[in-house]
Amino acid sequence: MNKPMTAAALALAFGAAMTVAAMPAAAQDKMSEKEKCFGVALKGKNDCKAGAGTSCAGTSKIDNQGNSWSFVPKGTCEKTASKTSPTGFGQANEFMEKKV
Amino acid sequence: MSGQQAFVDALLDFGPANQACPSGLATWNHSDPARRFAVYRNNVMISLIDALADGFPVTQELVGEAFFRGMARQFAIAHPPRSRILAYYGRDFPSFIETFLPAASLPYLADVARLEMLRVLAYHAADRETLTRDEIGAALADDSELTRRCLVLHPSVAVLQSNFAVVSLWGAHQGLGDIAAVDPTAPQTALVVRIGLDVNVVGIDAATGRFIGRLIQGATLADAAIYASTAEPRATEFDLVASLGVLLRWKTICEFSAFSEFSAPGTSER
Repeated sequence: MNKPMTAAALALAFGAAMTVAAMPAAAQDKMSEKEKCFGVALKGKNDCKAGAGTSCAGTSKIDNQGNSWSFVPKGTCEKTASKTSPTGFGQANEFMEKKV
Repeated sequence: MSGQQAFVDALLDFGPANQACPSGLATWNHSDPARRFAVYRNNVMISLIDALADGFPVTQELVGEAFFRGMARQFAIAHPPRSRILAYYGRDFPSFIETFLPAASLPYLADVARLEMLRVLAYHAADRETLTRDEIGAALADDSELTRRCLVLHPSVAVLQSNFAVVSLWGAHQGLGDIAAVDPTAPQTALVVRIGLDVNVVGIDAATGRFIGRLIQGATLADAAIYASTAEPRATEFDLVASLGVLLRWKTICEFSAFSEFSAPGTSER
């Protein structure tokens, strides 16, 4: 960059970047598009509010453990297969696993 | 020496033989207190090694579990925890790996560990709202001071400049790309940023990395751009539009702020 940086040049660069870097709507607010889903996490892969290393994340002992949950895209929980769930799918609340 | 200090010293005495047992311990069944205490001491060590294994999964996969746990044990002996927050345990682990002779044949290992630590720090970084597209547009409109503005980036944002292919090496262990196709000696720069609860690792060019790194240190937009385009060695041409595009795409911008001497490069550490 050999020319001096002006406010106008910076604003222009930002403007160009904004058109290139279209922010996908999906990235706008990921949290609101996810929901807790019980019974679909593989063992050791469950999410946890407090996060890895501090508490319960990654502590589930079996696949599809009924009282451990994962964040999943909203609307997909009860369509996600869970071999331990009485309904056969993930649930919004914890449940007792059925024997498989 | 206080009783508590003696207890701690004994607990962290991982030496091979005649390990110290604090005086005054009693057991309910009259078994040897030193043996009971050794169980406790071993649990401390195992939990520290487990914490490192949790935080550095790719590092572990690169060297195998047995080697990793041996290395983690040596680290834990040399660097017992200084904080009660176990999630941050291992901040010094990458530097330790760099000097750990048995790992010298994997010169990229320390930087992969650095990347993994940055991911942990990003995961636990403070929440902060980032500006929407409209808010950025409004901030840009009619700002004659734009060159003197600093960007306050999301607290999770960090840059790792590596002489090795850290992004590809790490990515190959997430099922992104084939590890066999990775040339570990190709220098790469990683941007780490959390959106929601997802920590992202983004490969960026070296000049963009310098630009973002300088902004994190508190430089103005103009200074950061000049630094990125002139700093030696000139690895890649600096592309301002592309660099701003990275910042926008990954939703990193929280605020356009006035320049403050107190946060300028060289006067503060992050």
